[in-house]
Amino acid sequence: MEKHNDYKLKNPVDRMEKGSKMAKKGQMAIFIIVAIAIVALILLIAFYPRIRSVVTGGELTSSNFIKSCIGSDVQTNMELMNNQGGYISPEGFYVYNGKKLKFLCYTNEYYKTCVVQDPAVVSHYEKELANAIKSKAAQCYADMKTQYQKQGYSVSGILRDVKVELTDKSVNVLFDAPLSISKESTSTYNGVTIQIDSKIYNLLSIVQSIVEFEAYYGDSETTNYIQYYPDLKIEKIKQSDGTKVYKVSDVISKEEFDFASRSLSWPPGYEGVNAK
Amino acid sequence: MNKHKLLIFALLSLFLFVFVSGGVFAVNATVCCQKTTSNLYCQNVPSDQCAAGSLQTPSACSQTSFCKAGYCYDSRQGNCMSNTPKVVCDLNNESWTETEPASCGLGCCILGDQAAFVPLVRCKILAGFLGIQANYNKQITNEVSCVLSVQGQVKGACVYESEFEKTCKFTTMSDCTSGSNASITNATFYKGKLCSAPELGTICGKTKETMCLPGKDEIYFKDSCGNPANIYDASKINDVDYWSNIKTKLESCGPSASNGNSKSCGNCNYLLGSFCRDSKDAGSSASYGDNICADLNCKNTQNRNSYKHGESWCVYNDAGKTGTGNTAVGARFYKHICINGEEVLEQCADFKQEECIEDKINTSLGSFSQAACRVNRWQDCLVQTEKQDCENLDKRDCLWKEGIALNVNSGSGACVPKNTPGLKFWDSEGDASSVCAQANAQCVVKFEKGLFGGEKCKDNCECLTDSWAKQRNDICMAIGDCGSKINWLGDKGYKTGYNVTISASSSKS
Repeated sequence: MEKHNDYKLKNPVDRMEKGSKMAKKGQMAIFIIVAIAIVALILLIAFYPRIRSVVTGGELTSSNFIKSCIGSDVQTNMELMNNQGGYISPEGFYVYNGKKLKFLCYTNEYYKTCVVQDPAVVSHYEKELANAIKSKAAQCYADMKTQYQKQGYSVSGILRDVKVELTDKSVNVLFDAPLSISKESTSTYNGVTIQIDSKIYNLLSIVQSIVEFEAYYGDSETTNYIQYYPDLKIEKIKQSDGTKVYKVSDVISKEEFDFASRSLSWPPGYEGVNAK
Repeated sequence: MNKHKLLIFALLSLFLFVFVSGGVFAVNATVCCQKTTSNLYCQNVPSDQCAAGSLQTPSACSQTSFCKAGYCYDSRQGNCMSNTPKVVCDLNNESWTETEPASCGLGCCILGDQAAFVPLVRCKILAGFLGIQANYNKQITNEVSCVLSVQGQVKGACVYESEFEKTCKFTTMSDCTSGSNASITNATFYKGKLCSAPELGTICGKTKETMCLPGKDEIYFKDSCGNPANIYDASKINDVDYWSNIKTKLESCGPSASNGNSKSCGNCNYLLGSFCRDSKDAGSSASYGDNICADLNCKNTQNRNSYKHGESWCVYNDAGKTGTGNTAVGARFYKHICINGEEVLEQCADFKQEECIEDKINTSLGSFSQAACRVNRWQDCLVQTEKQDCENLDKRDCLWKEGIALNVNSGSGACVPKNTPGLKFWDSEGDASSVCAQANAQCVVKFEKGLFGGEKCKDNCECLTDSWAKQRNDICMAIGDCGSKINWLGDKGYKTGYNVTISASSSKS
């Protein structure tokens, strides 16, 4: 009985405590919702221009859209090319650690300097990268037009060409695509250019110089380059068959370009000594 | 009639022989191939290694019209690549000429206070990157004169009005007064002054910020207009004179030290192994600003020595000794280089076809070690019969072994490679067996029978001693990977490496 009373006596208190706890929880939830709403409002105010730039017209929108669409594709293709001597599908390569390194200079003979296989490393890189991203670029351009149309814009224009231009600080992708966007007023653009930070131009210039040395002298002196370029690192790994694997990298940006060369090599032992 | 038949048969046989041998010759003959089956251009290879449809000529590539080497000019980049085959240049849609075209001619490209000895088109591209106007001088005909031409340019504060404000640019006198810079008009140049000098009365003042400049080792203070001031020195952050007048490197803090990782001094010195870098990249920060003299030197390297950035040195870590005519099998010479605080190794050619040489240059800033992989000139050692010729370091890298000869009794000594060349002894088609066989020797020992029985050695008795066998083994080991050698790990072979066979033959004389 006492137990029962106890129960009866205790029960309202418990209920009261429970009720106040629930009320507190409810208040907390309201506070949290209000806080979230305030934060969302602040974020909206802070990033409104950026959000607006994606959904409204203007060149900034076009380049932002294109950059977000194709940027990763450019990076992926560059990484592949950098690992393969500047080629997407190299022909005439040396397999090193499972990677196909394009021979930028090669001779099959002993005691001879190599024959240049790629005389314009930078220009070739630009063309190769432009070809590699062409289909994705077309898709991004079409997607951008669709996006504008969804926003109620009338869009006209065609993608005539995609070019890649390397500079000392960036990789520029140029969309030769005249574009006309109209809703209440009409805006016309000659094209879109996107910039991706990269030091690949500087690395390729060094590579070109190494290839020239390989073709002329049969070898290159890596320490000479280091004296002039503080951010540069060059590794030369000599293979048993006379092939040299070069790894040219920027110690700050961590970008690396690998290629192979075979020049002025000697056979093992006495092979060809008399022929020489 | 039979004679005729015989003649016809002989002629047919001759024809067949010529045809078949001609065919064989055609298959194996070396040709200049435009493109090989391995997709490489302009190689002298057997004709069966030419890609289908590829041009080929039975002569050296240098003699062909399609693979002749010349100059390939890349008009977009303004670069010239010499020694390029015509076909390779054409495939890249560049222009090829046999002789150097005028567009490849070099001149001095002056870009502000920097210079480059490059072709004109390249100069314009470089100017575009820097956003400045280039001054191209073809009269300067070498790189050293070109670099020197921009040194010693008078620098100072260029004061001018912009948007109703008296502003300033720290530049050269020619840039300030020549009118080449469109943004600067009616400027006054103050030689040796900094833009932050209070007496100039410009809007530029001192800050606590620093900056790295292209082509310069040091960290510089940055004024409020973004101009470089003097070399960063934490103790001079409020020094009016230091913010007013140009101070030379020698007048700045720690002029003879590298100042690597110094928090207070930005007088970095690339030759001593420090360079202006962003604190984030360098991993440490200075008392003021976002830059620091990053320490690029290598400490406690593999040989427990410390080296400066850019220094290189030789390392031989394999078993055995070098330069004694008995280099271990599979051993290799290595050149180590210190690059940005990292020890990078570069192998010399395999099979000991290259060896590493090193020396030190003594400069005013201390000694600087330099190493190189150089060709091992062992090829004609074995044919030298005179000690003087053998040890002629101008011509070869050989060692004279006194008292023993390559062939028994053929001379007073043997000339052998200092560092023995490696052989592909595991390759059954290689020349290892024939090379090692050169050290084979047969020594005929003559015995004389005694009158009352028994034998007495009369001639070449030394050939029966252990020391003779050892000498022959030394010769064997010196000519290549022959004899009882150890490998680069110091392990001996599973076999002895040589045989001494004694057989008896009786003859009367």
